Amino acid sequence: MTLKIAIVGCGKIADGHVEEIGKMGDRARVVAACDKELLMAEQIAERYQIPACYDDAARMLAAEKPDVVHLTTPPQSHLPLAKLCMDAGAHVFVEKPFTLHYADSQKLIEHAEKTGKKVTIGYTYLLDQPSLEIRKLRREGLLGDVVHVESFYGYNLGGAFGQALLGDPGHWVHSLPGKLFHNTIDHPFSKIIEFIPDDEPEVHAFGHVQRESRHYGDARDHLMDELRVLIRGKKVTAYITFSAHIRPAAHFVRIYGTKNTIHADYTSRTVTFDANPSLPSAIGRVVPAFEQAARFAREGIKNAGKFARSDFHFFAGLQNLFKSFYDSIEHGTELPISYRDILRIAKMMDDIFEKLDQTGGQKSGSRGDA
Amino acid sequence: MSGEKQLVTGSNGFLGTAFVDRLLSRGEKGVRCLVRPGSDRSKLDAVLRKHPGADVEIIQGSLSSVEEAAKLLQGVGVVHHLAAAVGAPPADMFLGTVVATKNLLEAMLAMKPVPKLVLISSFGVYGVAEMPRGAVIDESTPLENHPEKRDIYSHSKLRQEQLVWDYYKKQKFPLVILRPGVIYGPHGGAMSSRVGIKFPGMFLYLGFKNVLPLSYVDNCAEAICVAAKNARFDGDVYNVHDDELLTCAEFLARYRKEVEPLRVVPLPYPALKLVSKAVESYHKYSKGQLPALFTPYKSATTWGGNRFSNAKLHSLGWKPIVTTEEALRRTFEALRSRMAKAS
Repeated sequence: MTLKIAIVGCGKIADGHVEEIGKMGDRARVVAACDKELLMAEQIAERYQIPACYDDAARMLAAEKPDVVHLTTPPQSHLPLAKLCMDAGAHVFVEKPFTLHYADSQKLIEHAEKTGKKVTIGYTYLLDQPSLEIRKLRREGLLGDVVHVESFYGYNLGGAFGQALLGDPGHWVHSLPGKLFHNTIDHPFSKIIEFIPDDEPEVHAFGHVQRESRHYGDARDHLMDELRVLIRGKKVTAYITFSAHIRPAAHFVRIYGTKNTIHADYTSRTVTFDANPSLPSAIGRVVPAFEQAARFAREGIKNAGKFARSDFHFFAGLQNLFKSFYDSIEHGTELPISYRDILRIAKMMDDIFEKLDQTGGQKSGSRGDA
Repeated sequence: MSGEKQLVTGSNGFLGTAFVDRLLSRGEKGVRCLVRPGSDRSKLDAVLRKHPGADVEIIQGSLSSVEEAAKLLQGVGVVHHLAAAVGAPPADMFLGTVVATKNLLEAMLAMKPVPKLVLISSFGVYGVAEMPRGAVIDESTPLENHPEKRDIYSHSKLRQEQLVWDYYKKQKFPLVILRPGVIYGPHGGAMSSRVGIKFPGMFLYLGFKNVLPLSYVDNCAEAICVAAKNARFDGDVYNVHDDELLTCAEFLARYRKEVEPLRVVPLPYPALKLVSKAVESYHKYSKGQLPALFTPYKSATTWGGNRFSNAKLHSLGWKPIVTTEEALRRTFEALRSRMAKAS
């Protein structure tokens, strides 16, 4: 059976969804593009040969009866649109962030359960190659017990999205409770949530504005661009770093176990163990660098092989996520992301954003603590 | 309410600043420069400093909604619509170019009388892929039939122009369209892709003896001024490029001599066609693992080799105000200076 997919919201990220679905052959097909601005629906339809365009989601749902709707709209609309889709009989893939608040996320999941529809969220990196590799190594017992995890997320405010939101005081990101962090920290959270078993771990956070060019005289001046989060569970602790200034804008996870420490780099898609010198004396200081070089060389060769087999796509994790979600719909398999994890992340994000002052209230450095 | 104000969208862009400079140099009054909040106004400010006492205002705003556009149009009799998104992801290109134009048109058409519209379109809207080598591109050349096969800039500019024509067909309003070729100048980019593509450490040379439809930014600005004064505003269209056109080979030779030597890797058109086929096939085979930078269609459009005519623009009374020699000198000097600063 070919699943009928509809895209609601035809901004930047919609391209990634349509492209990845387009690679799935008969498995799924995008049958409609919908955006409240019809021109936006038309442009994506024209570029990807999507047969139908709409500027009204209800009308699209009635006419197309899609099996799955991908919501790629700004998060302010996720809850009402997802409910509308579920009521019309569609399962829903929601781009991150899930909703604006934990309470809304609860409502969305409750609505999914009430209507018998499934919902998941675009945690792209959860099924990306490094995450799959970490899981494999963990299953093989090479990590031992996890003691601490670290997730680093570098961001470039000079990129297209950063420039769009800094150039427009009316950009939807400015009205999110957590502003820029709200739209990004799902990623560093989602990569480590599986290592933190606690329902409600203790969360501490502080953020500040690092950039100097603050001259707008509006909300953009108070938009924080640096965030540090410390999470303390019963057995595992975690750090999350979001930085718009550290270069390179790295993107990695470190898992500290009782047997080994793993470094997973999501930019270069390499997963390596930290050096663990076993030889004595000065030799023990010489050999590890070569061992590390050999590990990276193996990862490079592995990636080159994948590239040669056309299996090294930019949004590979997103496609894996789609497949897993569609499997869950068609074959009743487990959802790729548990509702518990979606809600735990939503709760922690609420905790952080409630305490960070991004309104300019704390004028001495715009620094907030949670 | 109609008025005498002249709204300039995109006024702090590359062409926009040159155009405002030309308007003020010609003694035009009631110039209203639209800039987006928080955008870099340094070049526009420098232009305004050149014209103390000029009747000009800067207005912050955007074309993100009809309501926003309507605020900018109060008292406006002519809209010079230069604003367009460049170098952004596809959705943002359409939002900044096509949706913004729709909002502007909706706001304009609600006014009585409707202000005049001077739309700055692009050579990119022409469908030249299937035209024979050496064919002349003029205003009668058909528009592109396969925009989805082109680059996003051309696609969004074509859609913008089609949208304007759709509105024009429904309700005639005073309209003139200018389609500039390759606009260049001291504040612009270094090299048109029609000449070739710069990669780290090498320059892939693709243009050879193809004619380069250059339009020096001040000459292009002058063309807009002349069209705004002399055009019929009955949906007339004018191609904009300079008189003394160089070939890509001539341009590259001068660039290498006067700006930087460049390590040039030539790829003649027959070889480019083969490479384009291979790139497109790999793109399909690998399901898009690498973008289709070259396709036979894109290559035929950009490097197929056309000739150009600006005779219709001359009929309006336009003359270039800067010779090609002087334009190249100014441009290359600025590029040299920029590169020296960067290093």
